[in-house]
Amino acid sequence: MTTISVPPRTGTRRHTALWVALAVGVLLAFLVGVLATRDSAADKLAGSPLLGKPAPEIDGKTLAGDRLTLSSLRGRWVVLNFVASWCVPCRQEHPQLVDFDTRHRAGGDGQVLGVVFSDKPGNVRDFLRENGGDWPVLEDPQGQIALEFGVRGPPESFVISPGGVVVAKIVGPATADGLEQILASSTGVKR
Amino acid sequence: MGVLLVTAFTISTHRDSRPETTQARVKRVASEVRCPTCRQLSAAESDAPAAEAVRVAIAKRVEQGESDAEIRAFLVSAYGDDILLKPGGSGVAGLVWALPVAAFVCAVAGLALAFRRWHRVGLDPTADDRALVERALAGLPSAAGSGSSKGDR
Repeated sequence: MTTISVPPRTGTRRHTALWVALAVGVLLAFLVGVLATRDSAADKLAGSPLLGKPAPEIDGKTLAGDRLTLSSLRGRWVVLNFVASWCVPCRQEHPQLVDFDTRHRAGGDGQVLGVVFSDKPGNVRDFLRENGGDWPVLEDPQGQIALEFGVRGPPESFVISPGGVVVAKIVGPATADGLEQILASSTGVKR
Repeated sequence: MGVLLVTAFTISTHRDSRPETTQARVKRVASEVRCPTCRQLSAAESDAPAAEAVRVAIAKRVEQGESDAEIRAFLVSAYGDDILLKPGGSGVAGLVWALPVAAFVCAVAGLALAFRRWHRVGLDPTADDRALVERALAGLPSAAGSGSSKGDR
């Protein structure tokens, strides 16, 4: 029996595999880096085309039956909060909004303004009665206010400067401390 | 066949030239927009309240005489580019179009190179290959003159 010895092949294929493995490794490292450096869910600041731009005007009816425009609140910080009674994170953030509103309403430099999102006004009225919070809440029966602000689901909040400029968008539950930080860091915003 | 093609072309042209109703236009524009809360469906297909809100907004703007581009621009100004089901062709969104094309070109080029290499290797044995075959043939019993029966082959 004759044995045929085959000479070893060049390392081209091994090099190709090495480069492919290296490319996949770099891609994975990039993805891990992106995911690891994302903000946590709490006070998650989100991007929005509205940031740095004048907030869309709102002209609506409150749960109390009064007419209210966003421009009538110029001169104070407004936390525009989209809320629903069925939304669990909304219940979680509510005490924080009460804290923020109480602190700033007294000084006249800020307040919360709610907007009903995909809910019956009566449900939200009951929710506020049970959990506190006497800020105005606007009805949005056709969802046009939410649409103007690009809201996808509650809770979402927009911090609007005294000059009417959108300075932050928060997706998920807002905190009083997080809102204070936004106000502190946005004092240079044109009024 | 030619008559058939001309007739079909005439009918399709005639159909396209009809003015589009407001309802049809709202549906068409809404079909190009993602439902804000469900994401898997267009605003024309979804029954979600947010999709209904999009349809209402489109209808209002159609009645106000806005163009399709203006309506899309309004929605993008609130939600960003990803509200559109068909991504834009510029900026980062352009990668959605460019990357598959680039991947396809790379794949075709890679296959072409691989086939070319395999083809070349098959037709042109190297000196090492020839030497290997010669050494192998020299070691066979028939080459050594010992003889073999046909049945051995």
